[in-house]
Amino acid sequence: MTPGTDPALVLAQWFSPGFPIGAFAYSHGLEWLIESGDLATAQDLQDWIEVLLRDGTGKNDAIFVASAYDAETEDQMQMLDDLCRAYCSGLGRRVETVEQGGAFARTLRDMGAAEVPDMCYPVAVGRAARLAGLPLGLTIRFYLHAFAANLISAAVRRVPLGQVEGQRVLAALAPVIEGLSRAVPDLDLPDLGTTSFAAEIAGMAHETLYSKTFRT
Amino acid sequence: MVVWPSAQEDRTIDGTTAAHDATGTMPPRAIGRAHVAVRLRDADAAGQSPSVLSDLHQSGSMRVLFPRPAAPPTAMLLNTAGGITGGDRFDISLEVGKGAHLTVTTQAAERAYAAMPGPAGRLSTAISVAEGGAVRWLPQETILFDNSDLNRRLDVELDGDNSSALIVEPLVFGRHAHGEILTDARLRDRIRINRNGRAIFADGIDLAGNVTEQLRHPARGGGAGAMATVVLAHPSAEAQLTPLRLLGDEILGSGAQIRVGTSLLAPDLLVLRCLADDSFNLRRVLLPVLDHLTNGALPICWRL
Repeated sequence: MTPGTDPALVLAQWFSPGFPIGAFAYSHGLEWLIESGDLATAQDLQDWIEVLLRDGTGKNDAIFVASAYDAETEDQMQMLDDLCRAYCSGLGRRVETVEQGGAFARTLRDMGAAEVPDMCYPVAVGRAARLAGLPLGLTIRFYLHAFAANLISAAVRRVPLGQVEGQRVLAALAPVIEGLSRAVPDLDLPDLGTTSFAAEIAGMAHETLYSKTFRT
Repeated sequence: MVVWPSAQEDRTIDGTTAAHDATGTMPPRAIGRAHVAVRLRDADAAGQSPSVLSDLHQSGSMRVLFPRPAAPPTAMLLNTAGGITGGDRFDISLEVGKGAHLTVTTQAAERAYAAMPGPAGRLSTAISVAEGGAVRWLPQETILFDNSDLNRRLDVELDGDNSSALIVEPLVFGRHAHGEILTDARLRDRIRINRNGRAIFADGIDLAGNVTEQLRHPARGGGAGAMATVVLAHPSAEAQLTPLRLLGDEILGSGAQIRVGTSLLAPDLLVLRCLADDSFNLRRVLLPVLDHLTNGALPICWRL
């Protein structure tokens, strides 16, 4: 990264839908939910994503970003990468984090921006942010915001939900993202845990859909 | 709300010291330990080398029973304190030697009872399996009561590429048939499986507060009153994906209030998660699934 570049501009680039990590291909089980008729309104979508942020992948991934940011050795990075894979509740989750992490790291390497090895997505992000000297709190906010925005975009493509409604949901989730990013520095690996059990089952069930728009 | 046993009742058994804090207000604590080790016996004249018990310790409120001379050995854990409440401490360690097999279950459902303010009840299980060994950790349900506070962890260390573990952890969020709900309860549950020192599976559950209300949320439980996680870490776990999905479809087709997901995370790692409205319907999934994964050798207590 060019020294002196505004961290917000770097993060806006890393987490823009144009950054080629293939995020558009993953719905995190939402597609299965929509197929089952269990997600129909903007409120359903907002409630679902809020749980994922607070008590699901969002919280766990934020802890991984922070832990990777603080990691000092190759062994610690390897341990975090193993643990991030191990915490995936199903194959879909594992594909999402491994593939997006690999694409994110490759893009940064090919840009000559940061020498980040292929790792699970939040681990790669934490490492890259540390190498680029970006502030951790802001990195987590961008990460969670992109996570939520991607799910909303997936839902807008699959349910009769307008673009504006989708943006309203994203705006409504901003306080959740802010709150979580403030809480995460006090959390550590022993705090990795979820209550988004039904969402995890939805992710597993998605694997069995005959015809799908999304990979997960 | 169920409060049992009374906080004043001394529940320590067999000479275990009850722990009190300086003010004397801390309720007595139950403490229990169990250690079970199995190894392969040298081959007999017929070339058979069965798994045999090589070490056994038990103390305090934890007992290990061997209901019948089974091959491979089946250990049945019994919490003589009748449940777990705040400040209780249980430690279980299992050691499976090279090529040996061990099945462990519980004599009854474990109960996390109402806890006084203070430290959580703790239940830690550590399992090590040497190369070629196999463990089946098949405890019956853990039932959470209102105001319970349980901190539980399960650590499995698999050595080599041919050791295996079959794990189930069924949880019941209040006994719905008794009209019990969890308006304020805490569960912190951690599962970690390592192979050759590297994490291959991890799961964490953090429930706190009005659990029944939280589990109504469609992303959490959709109103579920019971849940189970089944993990098979086995070199040929892959072969079980289709059979388990077929079993799941059969049960879902019956119209029961059940959600089940089965996923193969790696060729040697299969995970099944199930939410059900109550423990009865949870067993409708677990019985056929565990029966299948144990080749019909599910401990008899599961069938009662």
